[in-house]
Amino acid sequence: MSRPSALRIFVKTVIARAYPRTVGHARNWSWVVIEIVLPLIGTVAMVYVYRALRAPAEYTGFVVLGGTLLAFWQNIVFDMAGNFIWERGGSNLELFTVAPTTFTAILLGMALGGIFYTAQRAAAVLLVTSLLFQVHYRPAGIAPAVGLLALTLLALYALGMLLASLFLFFGRSAWHALDGMQEPVYFLSGFYFPVHSLGAYVAGAASIIPLTLGLDAIRQVLLPGTPVFLAPAWEAGLIALQIPAYLLSAQWALRMMERLARRDARLSMRWV
Amino acid sequence: MQVRFGGFGLTTAGIQTWRGLGASARLGWQVSSNWTSPGVFLVYSVLRPISAALILTVIYQVITRGRASTYLAFLITGTAFWSFVQQGLSGFANAILDDRGQYRMLKYIYIAPLPFGVYLVGRAIAQLAGAAASAVIVIGLGTITLHLPINPLRANWLLLGVACLLAFAAIVAIGMAFTFLLLAGRDTHGYGEIGAGVLYVISGAIFPIGILPGPLATIAALSPLAYWMELVRRSLLQAQAYQMFPGLSDVDVLIRLVASTIGTVVVASLVFRWADRRGRQQGYVDRDVQW
Repeated sequence: MSRPSALRIFVKTVIARAYPRTVGHARNWSWVVIEIVLPLIGTVAMVYVYRALRAPAEYTGFVVLGGTLLAFWQNIVFDMAGNFIWERGGSNLELFTVAPTTFTAILLGMALGGIFYTAQRAAAVLLVTSLLFQVHYRPAGIAPAVGLLALTLLALYALGMLLASLFLFFGRSAWHALDGMQEPVYFLSGFYFPVHSLGAYVAGAASIIPLTLGLDAIRQVLLPGTPVFLAPAWEAGLIALQIPAYLLSAQWALRMMERLARRDARLSMRWV
Repeated sequence: MQVRFGGFGLTTAGIQTWRGLGASARLGWQVSSNWTSPGVFLVYSVLRPISAALILTVIYQVITRGRASTYLAFLITGTAFWSFVQQGLSGFANAILDDRGQYRMLKYIYIAPLPFGVYLVGRAIAQLAGAAASAVIVIGLGTITLHLPINPLRANWLLLGVACLLAFAAIVAIGMAFTFLLLAGRDTHGYGEIGAGVLYVISGAIFPIGILPGPLATIAALSPLAYWMELVRRSLLQAQAYQMFPGLSDVDVLIRLVASTIGTVVVASLVFRWADRRGRQQGYVDRDVQW
């Protein structure tokens, strides 16, 4: 019997790992609810903060777009970066390790499945909040915004793969680190205000997170009057550079962390 | 049997209850904090409220362009004290769900001689203690860096203490009832966050409840958290406080806080008892879920 090619195993692994994220995830209504309601609540609260401050109407649009992309960041934190912690808890990690495939293929499947189902949740958040708060977008900006979103998600999920590999080695402390990463990123990436407000140095440093640049570019093309941090074309170019950088880093980190985890027998430890 | 301590008498059951309360609070504190060093834990504890305060400060600066207003102090105090609700509801719910799902020890505690309610209160106290540190740090940093008009020598500590005690009773009661409702679900880890998020919108933590649409504003006015937030601001900021209820005196707000807290505790107790009875019938406490 001939052995299947490495490429075939890779592709089948990607599809197999994406399947529970596309089909299986939709079956669990408790997850669907939490993934839509959590970004929705944060968005609603911030819209009312702006209203209490009697802010111009375009700020509502800034918050709504930030709240929409927030669903992707939560997915990165809990379902990408934190995934190997869950898998270890469920004893799947040791099966992944002995399976005749690569962690890269598993992570890629997770990312593609995650993009697919989170896009649906994000669309729900966008629709509900846009209708609720009557946000108007520039029609000519919709197509460029979709392109920018696709580019941003590629870079973001590549970053997610890198984070997942780093947390392959760590246990309970990694979970807390992930939990603690939420709000600081909401602040640094300008989820609820234009990132231009943070000044060039802070916003420049925060650009290491693809969402910072992507969200700013999407706001600029969809919402007239967005304070400009960088021109959307520049932001798109920088995001495009981040994609291979994060993918290669993830590949390297995966190898290193897997080696370390095997050496210290941490792959099968449930609570470390 | 009664044991005398000076002029006070305690039954052995009473001593056991206090010991159980202390042990469960200590356990809760250990589970929350022993994954790292105390310094890292402190940074972790304040990361979320400080980031939230920074977000609101930037929003405030962008919109007001630095014009002096009492609203910044409103935002920072609300964010700082919100940690208690965040920890007392979301943190508590996750802790109990972890006890059941991850550590699989909730069933053993449930059948232990210590009343289960005492254990839950102890765990909630540990959560609130963690929140206290972050509230103090956020208020302290806000006062120093943003020049908030908070003067410790002029603050009304008695009013603050009474308001906080009442609010903590309400938060613990809500947390216990909500968590027991969540035990009915298989994958409810994170739903505590939704519960805290909903309260965030209707509690006046970061905006006055008066700007909410009619029905939501009515619901918010029934919540003790809105009156608690108001008294926190009045006690710390005195005349500089941005008031949600300018027509009410401190005593009026306190009366409303007492009434709404009693109402909340009574309703939460009924919900808890119902959920507890149902949980026992359906086997929710020892359900093997999620992990």
